[in-house]
Amino acid sequence: MKLSVDSIRCMGHGRCYAAAPDLLTYDDDGYVLTRGEVIDVPEDQEDAARTAVANCPERAIELVAD
Amino acid sequence: MTDRANESMVVVEREMIGCPVVHLDVSTPKAAGAYWDLADDLRRTGDRIYNTLAQGFWMFTDYDVVREIYQNADLFSSESFTPWEPDPVYRFVPTQIDPPQHQKYRQVLSRWFSPGAINALEPRARELCRDLIADIAQRGECDFVTDFAIRYPTEVFLTLLGLPASEADLFVPWVEDFFGGFGGDPDPVKQEAMVAALGGIREYWVAALDERRGEQEPREGDLASHLLHAKIDDRPLTDSELLDMLTVLVLAGLDTTRAELGYLFRHLATHDADRQRLVDEPALVPNAVEETLRFYTIIFGDGRKVTEDTEFHGCPLNKGDMVYGLVSSANRDPNVYERADEFVVDRQSNPHLGFAGGPHRCLGAHLARKEMQIATEEWLKVIPNFHIATEEQLFERGGGSMMTLLSLPLAWEVPS
Repeated sequence: MKLSVDSIRCMGHGRCYAAAPDLLTYDDDGYVLTRGEVIDVPEDQEDAARTAVANCPERAIELVAD
Repeated sequence: MTDRANESMVVVEREMIGCPVVHLDVSTPKAAGAYWDLADDLRRTGDRIYNTLAQGFWMFTDYDVVREIYQNADLFSSESFTPWEPDPVYRFVPTQIDPPQHQKYRQVLSRWFSPGAINALEPRARELCRDLIADIAQRGECDFVTDFAIRYPTEVFLTLLGLPASEADLFVPWVEDFFGGFGGDPDPVKQEAMVAALGGIREYWVAALDERRGEQEPREGDLASHLLHAKIDDRPLTDSELLDMLTVLVLAGLDTTRAELGYLFRHLATHDADRQRLVDEPALVPNAVEETLRFYTIIFGDGRKVTEDTEFHGCPLNKGDMVYGLVSSANRDPNVYERADEFVVDRQSNPHLGFAGGPHRCLGAHLARKEMQIATEEWLKVIPNFHIATEEQLFERGGGSMMTLLSLPLAWEVPS
């Protein structure tokens, strides 16, 4: 599974890195560090990644199956 | 309309592009919780409703549409965010600045309110919270709103800005007077008090800036000093920009967290199972905080000004028209949330719009949720059982100014 964060839509609510603290973290301005990037989701983080998606008020996060 | 329909809302028997027309004033205080009932009624009435209040404006009730209004800043300008007043007397920066200029001001402020900055503040914020609770706990009763909910966020906020906590005595009355008029109450006394409060806050900052001006280096941990050294477009901020930024921070930073804390603690005082669950499982406090921001959102709605003639979800909008995205309705939209009409203390999926959305997402969101988490954790450690200490009806301020409980008397047993 891969997770991508849309750099235009992400507004730094911080809900994703609160929901998936072992997968995502924040930058100096409070945006998710991997904004605009696609990252691999380890198998043990897939549930956390789904929770991150479900909590984003901007619908900025997408999951793509491998 | 349901039989809970509010007497101030009259659905006019008139068709406007086939959508309901109401005359709804949201400035008046009501029984606590009435504004969320009203939002539910409006959502059941329609996804788009025309309100004939003031010059008239469109209201939208679906979660998806409210988010779309927030995200589409090109079409929906923040020049005014009060739909009953398209040309307000104040100008908040960056609140009322549209992209792309908006982002430049936000960048100057964002690190001050970032998760990193808030985490660094946490030990001091927790200490302030424990001190306040220790004072209150032995009394066995308090008015939660005036004795705790306004004092705690104010002290933390002043600490974050680098100001003495004693300035709360100045700021709190100004904030009360401002929101007394902001919500659209036409009473000239309220409107004059709002303008006087803005003047008072402005004079405070004029003096604070004068004291700091000309210093070679920014003072450590002092926001006003930091802003004097900040630049946008390679130039310093003007006095007018500085004052417009500092003023809105005071108004947004003190009142809002007080309001959310009031509703959260009213809930805990009246829902023993949820309260006990948080005592037993403090790890769920962040979920309870987010659920408070969803279910007890203090934003009835958020206004925007239309920038061009267009059609939006079937509504013919003209440039200069106002729209009102009903956040209180969106956050309880059953198309988005399971058990939308219940407070679910351990809710896992909660993309609420309690901190708005789009480019104007609440700058203080990380601070507010941290304050709410600390307050809940520390209070429950010392006072795990408490109840509402009155049989009388509780009241809330009108939704036009953001709802807030005017009073919340709580009581608990003090161990002898």
